[in-house]
Amino acid sequence: MLGRKRNKKYARPLLPAREWARVESYMVDDAGFGTDRFGTDADMLGMGYALGYWLHRHFFRVVSTGHDHVPKKGGGVVVGNHSGVLPFDAMMIATDVFRHTDPPRLMRYMVDYFVYRIPFLGVFFRSMGQMPGTRANFDGLIEEGHLIGIFPEGAEALGKTADKAYDLYPFSPGHVELAARHGVPVIPFGLVGAEEQINMVANFEPLARLLRVPYFPITPTFPWLGPMGLLPKPVRYFITYGEPIHVDPAALTSMEAREREVARVRDAVLELLDEGQRTRKRYAEGKDE
Amino acid sequence: MSDEDKVKAKPGRRKRRDTMRRAALVTKVDEGPEPGALREGRRRVLVAGAHRLVAVHLIEQLLADPNVEAVLAVTRGACPPSLLGADPERFHFVSADLSKRRQVDNLFLLDRFRDGPFDTVVHLAFQGDPTGYTQRNHEFNVNSTKHMLEASLRHLVGKYIFLSSDAVYRIGARGDYKVREDAELNLDPSVHPILRDTIDAEFICRAKMDDLETEVMVLRPSGVFGGGVVSGINLLFESNPPMLPVGFDPMINPTTKEHLSRDLLLALNLHGKGVYNVAGRTVGPLSKFLEERGIVPVRVPGPALKMLNRAQRALGKTRYHAGFNPRRLYYSLVLDDARFEKIFRTHAARVPIVSED
Repeated sequence: MLGRKRNKKYARPLLPAREWARVESYMVDDAGFGTDRFGTDADMLGMGYALGYWLHRHFFRVVSTGHDHVPKKGGGVVVGNHSGVLPFDAMMIATDVFRHTDPPRLMRYMVDYFVYRIPFLGVFFRSMGQMPGTRANFDGLIEEGHLIGIFPEGAEALGKTADKAYDLYPFSPGHVELAARHGVPVIPFGLVGAEEQINMVANFEPLARLLRVPYFPITPTFPWLGPMGLLPKPVRYFITYGEPIHVDPAALTSMEAREREVARVRDAVLELLDEGQRTRKRYAEGKDE
Repeated sequence: MSDEDKVKAKPGRRKRRDTMRRAALVTKVDEGPEPGALREGRRRVLVAGAHRLVAVHLIEQLLADPNVEAVLAVTRGACPPSLLGADPERFHFVSADLSKRRQVDNLFLLDRFRDGPFDTVVHLAFQGDPTGYTQRNHEFNVNSTKHMLEASLRHLVGKYIFLSSDAVYRIGARGDYKVREDAELNLDPSVHPILRDTIDAEFICRAKMDDLETEVMVLRPSGVFGGGVVSGINLLFESNPPMLPVGFDPMINPTTKEHLSRDLLLALNLHGKGVYNVAGRTVGPLSKFLEERGIVPVRVPGPALKMLNRAQRALGKTRYHAGFNPRRLYYSLVLDDARFEKIFRTHAARVPIVSED
């Protein structure tokens, strides 16, 4: 159970009693030192949720619908669009799922490998239960009934320039294959808002290659103001979850079936993005306030 | 039958003989002992590399087992002091250079083992210290495995166990949370020659794993803890102080020399062949293992780690070699030993000396 010393000291004051109870009810399968076999650290998770909750509730003021589509138990693959230069979208989806599932469920993302080469960042991601996106990691997590988050556009999609906002990059087929192999549903979501949090003007590719990262953003404030230039604007996020998609097992044996299933998931995400944008419009017009 | 007829009949006879051999092979494979079943008879064990602490611990446990008829300990130097007082009826010590084929052959021709030959060979002899590595170390590592295995097959030894290392696995940012036996091996040509030797020695064993008489087994243990044990993790922990790169904290599941010798005991008493991971039960970040032992590491920038480690070694503050397998301090390596657990540890009760442990 969460609720160790550091958690109580730092996370507790940031959370309302109801949310603290949620943190305390989340069980980490302790493999010896307060971490599970995947490296999820109970302390860090509590603090991560406290930070995520604050951003979710007060900074991005997330409006989300369709939580009923997220399975209460058992494995599932949560798939959606990726954008915003820094992966606040992933953090908000994970926080949103943790907030709106009972008992709370931890989303585990299949993370790009470069993250684990960066000092502190890799350890932070691992202690939050996020794993390098390998097949074995996916299999291990899904076999234990975890909820897995995948951004099939890849990490490159985070570096979309402003002129490509809400354009979906091609989806890689891995999520469909893996869902079909394990017989678990794909839960699509569309997230609106992240595209506007940082306006990326250009991608400085030579430097990105040198630093071995997928992109190097040039924005009106970065790198001119240093790391502060990457702070996101407090835009409101709109998250919409769609109905679970049960992938045709033929996706494992037929290229055509696989492409068809990938297109089905992509279309569902596009539709949810449209829905999210309509909701945002209504909010802007004051109809849903 | 004339000579000509004999010549004519030869191909047919050879074909029939081959068919019979194949049939015999199939029958034998089908009738092979069930993995995890207790091996019959009393044990006569040859332990190569007896100077290693894990070997000493294993031999002590073997001698405590009444089902073990005799143990022959072999190493290049003198007999480990703690074994000097062992029962001379059951314990024998021979100093030999295992890289020399003749000396290996001689071990199997000792008078004491003429009537009751070895039924198990545990090969722990490996020059794993990266300091002062030479061509001679390479010859020893690879040739000793080759000669010991060939002699074991020739003398119909029931089981041959080679103790490898988890260093054979490729590790990096693209790591699996649990590494199974079929994970990618570190075949990078720029790796330390000792890692290449380990993989070469493993391949020699793997090439003979289909042998019908001898069960050839390779064990890949995770890092081994224990006072004086010459394993990467233990040398790191015994450093004064351990140096780690800033911003990295890999997940590990180390074992101890006691657990490893217990696993070896299971491996040599129960049927089963192939490659198996063996690891400790506790999985956690490296920093937590240090914290548990009250050890405070020094964090240094990654690019300076090798240089500072070299200086620390020169000052006699550590025997850990950061350049040996440099990624170990950056990326997780948690072994999945579910196969060993299923075939051997779940049947521990079949081995009385182990179940009492």
